[in-house]
Amino acid sequence: MRRVLALAVVLVLAALMMAGVNQLPPPGQADQPVHRHVAADYVAGGAQAGGAGNLVTSVLLHYRALDTYGEVVVIFAALLGVLLVRSTGGPPTRPPSRLVPVSPVVDQVVRLMTPFIALFALFMIVEGHVLPGGGFQGGVVLGALMILLSLILGPERLRGLLPIGAVTWVRAAAPLVFLLCALAGLGLAGWWFALPDPGWLREFVLVALELAIGFGAAAALTGFFLSLAVDGHH
Amino acid sequence: MDITSGLAHIDYIAMVILFAVGLYIVLTRQNLLKKILGLNIMETSVFGLIVTSGMVDGGSPPLLGRGLEAPYASPVTHALVLTGIVVALSVTALALVLIVRVKRECGSIELDELLEPEE
Repeated sequence: MRRVLALAVVLVLAALMMAGVNQLPPPGQADQPVHRHVAADYVAGGAQAGGAGNLVTSVLLHYRALDTYGEVVVIFAALLGVLLVRSTGGPPTRPPSRLVPVSPVVDQVVRLMTPFIALFALFMIVEGHVLPGGGFQGGVVLGALMILLSLILGPERLRGLLPIGAVTWVRAAAPLVFLLCALAGLGLAGWWFALPDPGWLREFVLVALELAIGFGAAAALTGFFLSLAVDGHH
Repeated sequence: MDITSGLAHIDYIAMVILFAVGLYIVLTRQNLLKKILGLNIMETSVFGLIVTSGMVDGGSPPLLGRGLEAPYASPVTHALVLTGIVVALSVTALALVLIVRVKRECGSIELDELLEPEE
């Protein structure tokens, strides 16, 4: 009964949405509203105003920098929530599960690939303002590498890579650097997230923001994974 | 509506179907984990819809100074969806850890079992 009702609701909604999207301008044509209003301005002036050849980065870190600030605060808040839920509460229901021994082939391949993956992640982060990529993308690659390493080495060895105090700062890096850049823009140019004028300084700010986003995202991903994968307290 | 105008929106229609699938999963599954999966399917359909709307047939990625020719895909939709993906990931992570907690406290993640009154 419940399924029939749910199916009816879903079908009615889907029919309404189908009727709706059929009234939209068809995708793929350059003369549509989505390409005309702000998007046209961003394409025309984005590289100049944002200091970034990659217009997506320009939108993220210049035109919509306040939104991106909110975004890094959201991911940081989620990380705090995850850590909070995992660190409070009753004893684990079962003893911590032992790690399954890793195949030597997997172990060797991951160890061999680690520097290259890390280099690629760093490249995506620092070149994110001129090439495809950016802080979030590079951060996800870096976070995936951390998750791989925690599977190979075990979470304890991974935690040994960085001192506990440093981990806290890396996790909070993105909101803090964003706040710094916002205040710097307010002080130097008079509005939030204003990018400073000389080209090299502008690029420096962009790379700093990207680095903070990247390492913050990587730390958040690793934190999510470790909180969910490792039973018990840490 | 003739057949060509229907086909012009086929990308959007595919995303609406994906959204309906996700919504059906969220409404009918009792397993909390599967509800989260359904939510993720719904989110994916919305991202797909927005990104599709920003595409241009035969256009270039919005990268300037790389010898790419106009027309460019809209950078606004890309930035929007990037933000959306990050928020969706955060929501999923928080929901998963809460499900782990529910399992530990109540011994089940099936909604109908959780809602049964204890004797």
